[in-house]
Amino acid sequence: MTWVGTAIPRKEDGRLISGRGSYLDDLSRAGLLHCAVLRSPHAHARIVSVDTRAAEALPGVLAVLTGAEAARVSGPIRPLIPTPVPIRDYCLAVDRARFAGEPVVAVAAVDRATAEDAVERIAVEYEPLDAAVDPEAAIRPGAPLLYPELATNVLWHDTFTYGDVDGAFAKADGVLSERFEIQRYASTPLETFGVIAEHDPGTDAYTFWTNDQRPGLTLAILAESLHVPQSRLRLVVPDVGGAFGNKRRPAYLLIAALLARKARRPVKWLEDRLESLAALMHAANGVMDLELAYRADGTVLALRARDITDEGKNLVSPTQHNLIKLGNIANGYRIGAIQYEAYSVLTNKCPSGANRGIGKPFMCFAVERAMTLLARRLGLDSAEVRLRNYVRAEEMPYTTPPGARYDSGDYPATLRKALARFDYDGWRAEQRRAHAEGRLLGLGIATSVEPAGTNLASYELITGRRAASGSAEAAMVRVEPDGTVRAAIGDPGSGQGYETVIAQIVADELGVTPGDVSVERGFDSTTTPWLYLSGNYSNKFSVTDVGAVLGAARKVREKLLRIAAHRLEAAVEDLELSHGQARVRGAPDKALALRELARTAYADVLGLPGGEEPGLEARHAHQNPLAEPVGPGRRVRSQLVFSNAAHVCLVEVHPRTGFVKILKHVVVHDCGRELNPAIVEGMVHGSTVHGMGAALLEEFRYDARGQLLTATFMDYLKPTTLDVPDIEVDHLEHPSPFTPLGAKGVGEGGAIPGPAAVANAVEDALAHLGVVVRSLPITPERVWRWLPRRADG
Amino acid sequence: MKPAPFSYVRARSLDDALASLDAGGEPKILAGGQSLVPMLNMRLVRPTTLVDINGLPGLDAIEAAPDGGLAIGALVRHTDLLASPLVRERAPLLAAATAHVGHRAIRNRGTIGGSLAHADPAAELPAAVVALDATLMVAGPSGRRGIPAREFFHGPLSTALEPREILVEIVIPGPAAPAWGFAELARRAGDFAIAGAAGVLRPAPGERGRSESARLVAFGCGDTPISLAAAESLLAGALIDPALARAASEAAAAATSPADDVHASAEYRRHLVAVLTEQVVLDAAGRLRP
Amino acid sequence: MTVTVRLTVNGRVIDRAVSARRSLADFLREDLGLTGTHVGCEHGVCGACTVLVDGRTTRSCLMLAAQCDAASVTTIEGLTPSDGLSALQTAFRECGALQCGFCTPGMIVTAHELLAENPTPTREEIREALSGNLCMCTGYVNIVTAVQRAAEAPSDK
Repeated sequence: MTWVGTAIPRKEDGRLISGRGSYLDDLSRAGLLHCAVLRSPHAHARIVSVDTRAAEALPGVLAVLTGAEAARVSGPIRPLIPTPVPIRDYCLAVDRARFAGEPVVAVAAVDRATAEDAVERIAVEYEPLDAAVDPEAAIRPGAPLLYPELATNVLWHDTFTYGDVDGAFAKADGVLSERFEIQRYASTPLETFGVIAEHDPGTDAYTFWTNDQRPGLTLAILAESLHVPQSRLRLVVPDVGGAFGNKRRPAYLLIAALLARKARRPVKWLEDRLESLAALMHAANGVMDLELAYRADGTVLALRARDITDEGKNLVSPTQHNLIKLGNIANGYRIGAIQYEAYSVLTNKCPSGANRGIGKPFMCFAVERAMTLLARRLGLDSAEVRLRNYVRAEEMPYTTPPGARYDSGDYPATLRKALARFDYDGWRAEQRRAHAEGRLLGLGIATSVEPAGTNLASYELITGRRAASGSAEAAMVRVEPDGTVRAAIGDPGSGQGYETVIAQIVADELGVTPGDVSVERGFDSTTTPWLYLSGNYSNKFSVTDVGAVLGAARKVREKLLRIAAHRLEAAVEDLELSHGQARVRGAPDKALALRELARTAYADVLGLPGGEEPGLEARHAHQNPLAEPVGPGRRVRSQLVFSNAAHVCLVEVHPRTGFVKILKHVVVHDCGRELNPAIVEGMVHGSTVHGMGAALLEEFRYDARGQLLTATFMDYLKPTTLDVPDIEVDHLEHPSPFTPLGAKGVGEGGAIPGPAAVANAVEDALAHLGVVVRSLPITPERVWRWLPRRADG
Repeated sequence: MKPAPFSYVRARSLDDALASLDAGGEPKILAGGQSLVPMLNMRLVRPTTLVDINGLPGLDAIEAAPDGGLAIGALVRHTDLLASPLVRERAPLLAAATAHVGHRAIRNRGTIGGSLAHADPAAELPAAVVALDATLMVAGPSGRRGIPAREFFHGPLSTALEPREILVEIVIPGPAAPAWGFAELARRAGDFAIAGAAGVLRPAPGERGRSESARLVAFGCGDTPISLAAAESLLAGALIDPALARAASEAAAAATSPADDVHASAEYRRHLVAVLTEQVVLDAAGRLRP
Repeated sequence: MTVTVRLTVNGRVIDRAVSARRSLADFLREDLGLTGTHVGCEHGVCGACTVLVDGRTTRSCLMLAAQCDAASVTTIEGLTPSDGLSALQTAFRECGALQCGFCTPGMIVTAHELLAENPTPTREEIREALSGNLCMCTGYVNIVTAVQRAAEAPSDK
């Protein structure tokens, strides 16, 4: 029996369930000040003048920071990709505001209310400029430019061709061409993003408490921009109330740090909900022209995509969406030739970011919609066309044209299991019966691969050089002098149950129980092992992080056995660790408790074997061996390990109002070995609901002047308990041959095929009307416009 | 999102509250706060003084009136109104409308008076009280006056209340009208309605299925609740069948001129008005008894 | 402007002077150190700030501390036994009804009110009662199951 694979209740829950978690806003420091930010009301404007005198004079205000000052006392924030002309992007807007909501001035005061009062007293003179809002318009000559020095809004444009694409299209029996669009939306973690920054003038060192999810990357940016060495920075991550890729905006940490230095007091900044919705990050919207070249039997020969990604004002992480779409575009199908043309375009909107799925929900929406349309065109069942095109289990591992390697899985079996579990045939019959009564039921299928672990070397495809590369994480395991166990990892969790799974892994290695293992909450750069690559991103926990934990645990395990062998005068091979002891197999009285071994290691060090260093602590950094540099033909394994899933969805469309209700949704997924099945199932539920929200409810909508129209939770609609059904989950388990425990990723899950499944179901309900769903969200009004009108209009 | 500064007064009596409203500056009444406080937090309103009337005695009662109607104190919380057997019996339309207000926590604090005085065009209770031909009793410097509900709502967030007046009571005339209907559509349960309708039919004596008179009100599709006079005329004195309900719904839609907003276009709203009024008429007709 | 209030919080009488514009949520969290109540939106939609005021669920971000004179407030801390977990909390843990935990206190307080009034709710009734509490992590399925399980547990809620 192992702890790994068992659905034990989570260790985190004890404190979280009783309100004893410690989230960022629960923390305080002596003398803490609070920050509020003045934000641009214009999508695009020259900043003519900034007058902060009235704000500074307000009692209770201790420091005010303008963009001009930030540009003098700090360095620009390093962009993800170099631009032909260097762009100096500071933590506050300096000469121009480039999206409505962009921070322009920051205030530190005795409390948040006073800080907001002060913000209202700041006078900024703007000269509004035309805004680039639509990404296709932003590409055209004459469009308003965010950075005139670049002479374009296109940060990146490239075409990747793998295989004989033109030849495949030439000899195809048919070509399906469609244009798809996706809206801006975001996972909107319930806890907003924030930071407490503290400066020690004596040592010129900074400490940050923040719910940032990429500490390795953020520390690098902070050091550069603050002109301090990383050795004088400390970053701590407490409990985090959800992240989903949203929590990363180094500018705010810089603002807080500069204010703290100026005011000589620690400064807390926590975005409020309106700030978060308008200015933190959105999943990029975009337009994709997709073509499938196919044979008459439904086999897909080639795929061509022209993909325009609207990044907003994003220099921190552009091209991410494109790169990840490129890596995943085959979506589990055997497609011999692929061409992908991508644009990464700046517009005067909120910056895009790595929202759950990063581009894959759109990619999957486009590909799965196209497969369903292909089925309809050929008179095939929607499932059948997929079954004919899946990479099969016996072909694994299978490398797709762009270089992604599917490690294991049985995609046809996954779909078949989902259809059976759903009772697809039964519901088809019910659909026909219901239609005769005037009810519109629809069934939708969508399947996808779900990658885990990003190989940063893939960015060489964009930049032309290799800076960061690979996928790695670091961990520490320590047996304390009293025999209890402590572990830590450079990846700060945000609700995924890391503390529990790490404890399960360590418990198996050391022969203790998960209850004996304390896992360090979050992250602390002075004690947690970490790398530049450390962080909570790309679904990497089960495929990379666990390797670090295992490696550290194994080092400690081996040392325990060496010490025990020495003291018990036995051979290491004859010893086992179990029940909190090292003991001779078959001779249970020849045993030593961990506490006793720790006494030797920490106190009675003369009792150690010769040459053995005191202590029982090990660090290990695991580099995922699947990551490789970019290869010939521009092929690269940009993501490393592949789960897969099949979603089947049943909706009912109201024939008069267009309202859509999801009646039933089944997910069969395969994430390899499930480290904790209960945690896995919870992630499938949650990620699928993200997909449903994107399909039917959520949209950051802008007007033609770049003003956000859906700016509060009253207008930006999140799914509630009444908007989603009980999601039924079943699984297959094809372990990855390439990961330390055979586990694959599970964090993005239903966010990827969820929208496509719902969209396919709605279209199916309206198939008799010839409706084609090309964009999201599917609002009631949009559906109503597809329905036949009666005399009442 | 913290409010701009304001003073706070805890009114102990109605006179106390009226005096606070008369003391200069820009005072605002704080009752349930479920509509006001979000606006304060977003700094969309900046009163100089909040006059907290939650402690005022005698404004939270629901009383049976001798004519078969009800007198409902303005401070009655939505949750208490929903739990009241008197309301269920004498004004079931009002209970049905109130059940759609927000979520439970909102209903625990929100008050009927607050909802009416706030006059959000997408709110349920203004339409319900108009359909019930209620009289809204108001207290002010010159004493009490009664304002018919259909004259109370002037525009979005704007009512007949003078700046120094307080809504104190809602009088629903008897006899109770058991033939009622209420329907609304919102993107999610508890959201503001995209459109809605409330209706009451008075039965014609002696004849089943025929209404003597009708009140039909649409909301969410204009600046105020809209009395659908043309539709009401079609229903008055008529035997109500599906075809008539359809005709009334078309007349109802034609009488509204909704706006476009981020949740719906004018055209779609008008369509929903038709769908919802048709449903309301049929539901009410189903409850008609001579 | 400051206002004096005397209120009971989790059974303890508290006398304070508060800024007129201070919300009950901020008062609980910052003045009293009861950080179990969370703030997610400050416009009354997400439900993370839900507490009981005079026994009824209330969005503490929509209430001023100043309004709470003579009120009795119960937070998640007050619904947690001094030793161990309540039936509801145990059920949440057993059923995987939380991931990041940020919505959880508000969910528990709301579920507490439901079970006090309706000891045997259906899944649909549970969904209805919790429809004013947003969760971004769990997809709600396990939360509903947890409330059902708590309803079936021997009474010590």
